[in-house]
Amino acid sequence: MTDKPITEADLQAHVDDRLPPERATQVEAWLLDHPLEAKRLAAYRAQNIILRAALAPIADEPLPPALDLRLHRSSRTKWMFHPALKVAGIAGLILLSGATGWGLRTWTTPPSVGTAALAREAASSYAVYASDAARPVELAANDRAVLDNWFSKRLSRPIRAPDLQRAGLTLMGGRLVATAHGPAGLYLYRDRGGRSIAVYMRPMEVEGSDHMKPRLEDGVAGWTWADNGMGFAVFGAAPGNGLHSTANLVRSQFRRT
Amino acid sequence: MAPTEDMIAQVQPLTPALRRYARAMLRHREDADDLVQDVLERAITGWHGRRKAASLRSWMFTILHNLALDRLRRQARRGVAAALEDLPQAHLATPALQEQGVQQRDVLALIARLPDDQRSVLLLVAVEELSYAEAAAVLDVPQGTVMSRLARARERLRRMMEDDAQGAIPRPALKIVP
Repeated sequence: MTDKPITEADLQAHVDDRLPPERATQVEAWLLDHPLEAKRLAAYRAQNIILRAALAPIADEPLPPALDLRLHRSSRTKWMFHPALKVAGIAGLILLSGATGWGLRTWTTPPSVGTAALAREAASSYAVYASDAARPVELAANDRAVLDNWFSKRLSRPIRAPDLQRAGLTLMGGRLVATAHGPAGLYLYRDRGGRSIAVYMRPMEVEGSDHMKPRLEDGVAGWTWADNGMGFAVFGAAPGNGLHSTANLVRSQFRRT
Repeated sequence: MAPTEDMIAQVQPLTPALRRYARAMLRHREDADDLVQDVLERAITGWHGRRKAASLRSWMFTILHNLALDRLRRQARRGVAAALEDLPQAHLATPALQEQGVQQRDVLALIARLPDDQRSVLLLVAVEELSYAEAAAVLDVPQGTVMSRLARARERLRRMMEDDAQGAIPRPALKIVP
């Protein structure tokens, strides 16, 4: 082998999943022989996850009127951008917040719609059902066809339990969950270590499409996204970047149907 | 000048990320949003003068980053400590992290203790997911410097998290200056 030596920059890029596949394979192989470095990199990956999750709520907040350019289209608010009148900003802001229906308080209260709401529902469902030793699912995996059919009917679109064998996850079953936005489908999977993963979905009234976002709800990590009016969440306990790749796998399977 | 439909369509989707970066850097909601408003104004007035080679995102982050550094330097001279209550209350305990022996407390309070140049590169790469080349453009340093700062930031944060998990370091005392 004439591999180039592994550099610290390679390791950093590996943490961010930005190496070309061939180089990533070489780094993976090298890490097998360097357990301390592997441990260090795992900690860096964990940093990425918690930083994103800790800061995600800021990007989810509705834009304050002062930063919403659409509001600056109207002549009434154009002067907000005039530097001489910037002192009037606060007064203008209060005026605007009245005019637009956004009370100042609503910037800080958690949104009750969109994928942020979906994330909370999914995490609660995970917390309640995944830990239920007696009956985590309503219908078990051997009734999968019945389960898929039930979800398809209640969510008004064809639903099939994603096949997550590639991620080492086996379907346990699922149940219908009641939410303020109507019924939601919950599939539960189990990994080889016996940890549960929830795949949660429901139709979205707002935010019919949204990119994949990391979430952290009451200590449970997960990812949410929305495609074609359908919102999805993957929550659970998985080491490293496992949840993200599982979420990507789920997303690719639903995009194909 | 009022923004055109085209500007709004391009800028508006970037605004949430700009707010997130500004708040993570300044740790103060109003100051951060104030800065983002400055960025929006400058973006709109400088719209036609910007270099088309750079992505709009890295251009706007460059403006924001420079304004944030100015503000931080001025605060440092005046001895103002940021208001921590503006940070989102995240309960940062995931099983995956506990497995690695990291007891999660307030990661945002920890990154606040990184030097500005390390905190910014970590946020731009890990949170805003800028490419290394974009981060280099925003910070106006060679890409090699981005990589070495990133490595230093991550290692320092790792050590702080380990110390934090062992309770070796007391939480920083807050100095709030009106």
